[in-house]
Amino acid sequence: MSYILRTSRLTKRYGGKTVVSDVNMTIKPGDIYGFLGQNGAGKTTTLRMIMGLIHPTAGEIELFGTPLHGNKIKAMERVGAIIEYPGFYLNLNAADNLEIHRRLMGMGNRESIDDALTAVGLLDAKHQKVKQYSLGMKQRLGIARALLHHPELLILDEPTNGLDPAGMKEMRQLFRELVRKRGITFLISSHLLSEIEQLSNKIGIIHKGSMLEEIDYESLQKKTRHYLDIRVTDEKKAAFILEQKLGTTDYVVAGSGGLRLYEHLDEPDRVSLLLAEGGVGIREMVLSGDSLEEYFLKLTGGGKFV
Amino acid sequence: MFNVLLTEIIKLKNTKMHWLVLLGAIPANLVTWYAFLPRVTPEGTRAGIDLQEMFYRQGMAITILGPFMFALMTSYVVSREYQERTINQLFSYPISRTKILFAKLAAVVVLIVITSFLSCITVTATSVIMSFTKPVEMGVLWTGIRMNMLAGLLAFGTIPVSAALSMVGKNVIPSAVLGAFATIVTLIGEMGHGMRSILFPWAMPYWPVRELAQGLAESGPNPYAVPGMTILAATFIVSLVFCIVYYEKAEIHSGS
Repeated sequence: MSYILRTSRLTKRYGGKTVVSDVNMTIKPGDIYGFLGQNGAGKTTTLRMIMGLIHPTAGEIELFGTPLHGNKIKAMERVGAIIEYPGFYLNLNAADNLEIHRRLMGMGNRESIDDALTAVGLLDAKHQKVKQYSLGMKQRLGIARALLHHPELLILDEPTNGLDPAGMKEMRQLFRELVRKRGITFLISSHLLSEIEQLSNKIGIIHKGSMLEEIDYESLQKKTRHYLDIRVTDEKKAAFILEQKLGTTDYVVAGSGGLRLYEHLDEPDRVSLLLAEGGVGIREMVLSGDSLEEYFLKLTGGGKFV
Repeated sequence: MFNVLLTEIIKLKNTKMHWLVLLGAIPANLVTWYAFLPRVTPEGTRAGIDLQEMFYRQGMAITILGPFMFALMTSYVVSREYQERTINQLFSYPISRTKILFAKLAAVVVLIVITSFLSCITVTATSVIMSFTKPVEMGVLWTGIRMNMLAGLLAFGTIPVSAALSMVGKNVIPSAVLGAFATIVTLIGEMGHGMRSILFPWAMPYWPVRELAQGLAESGPNPYAVPGMTILAATFIVSLVFCIVYYEKAEIHSGS
């Protein structure tokens, strides 16, 4: 099985309105997949289709190497999820809510309830009714519930909603720990660029129902690196000087007298001096490159990311 | 299936459901106290406590209140998943939606049984106390028990209608309105003691109750029993099929 989750040309239409259009998504085991998009971009609709809560108009979903259609019950044994809002029976305490989950997942081990509550720091509030919980506590309890049956894939829709910055940080640490210790694969949707940036090793960007880009973190880093864009009289000679005098190979020759230097960005004076001393004329030297946010804004045509 | 049913029962913890059960059972117990009023026979001697009459009054009360109470119970069990936004999670479990529906309906059966059982407390206690002074007519006792069992079973016939309204309306109101209407119609029908009233599906539980009535103008086997049962069976099957199809096909958009 090369992919935990794969969607191909996933589409959802309501009447004449296309809410999700031809979404292709691939998630490998161990990925923390950040599903990034503005509010209303189609993230939750996509996740609902993956969870079998709504039926796709077109396209296919494969979970654990088998089509979801016709195999949903088997597949859901291996998935944990919070979609949109962690709903609980408010008249019950946390332990009872997790007990319901344990029974419906067909798990035998009752101790797993305490383990899951400990993992999210809610063991002390185990016997407190959920209606007395804050939104942040409910989010944690939702994650505890999603973890209880040791899923291989955890689908979390805006999981840090309602959490304060400290809580968000704790949650990120928890997710990383779960990937490291349990090898859980994550699909996390968010409209928060910073959250996705800090967590994910792969990012899918959805905008107005269409997947604009699916990119791994390294490639994204490369795309969003800053560099010195240098236009010189002789780029071959300039490249030689950068390697010999500046001691760097982190540059690319862009052709037509252009070079992109990714190091020594804070030393443009030194770079220009070395090039001049080597007999290379400098026509232009500009600090260029997009920040991650600028990159997304360009991609989405200027929409707002937080 | 047992685990799914058990979770439905756990979900009722700390809810107002026990009040609803008591509200259904208490009036039935109270009306049976009528049998303790001093009465005389046509011969002028003091009449004793009539168990059959107690069962009859208890049966009437429970079958009049039942449509409303059982509709409320059903609608709460079904619609709370939408109201409390737990439906997302519920439909994400590796369990077929039909199984979930059946577990919910089974939970309602449990509630109907408990309500019916509690509604018999006075008549049962009276039977036990009477047994110390004179032998209890086992035939009457069995008739009463059978009447309650049959009435409970027949009351379940209209439960899928309430379930259907609750899942479509996603709240208790449509089912409660229907239940109130059904209770009023049943009340009118039972007060008239007519045989034909059982053609109304929610009044069908009155069929075994009426068998216990004494001194009615029209007596003997009810000729409307077969058509009444047919209507009830059709109501049950159609509404149950609707529930299954709706549950299986429904798209869950926002958890509420």
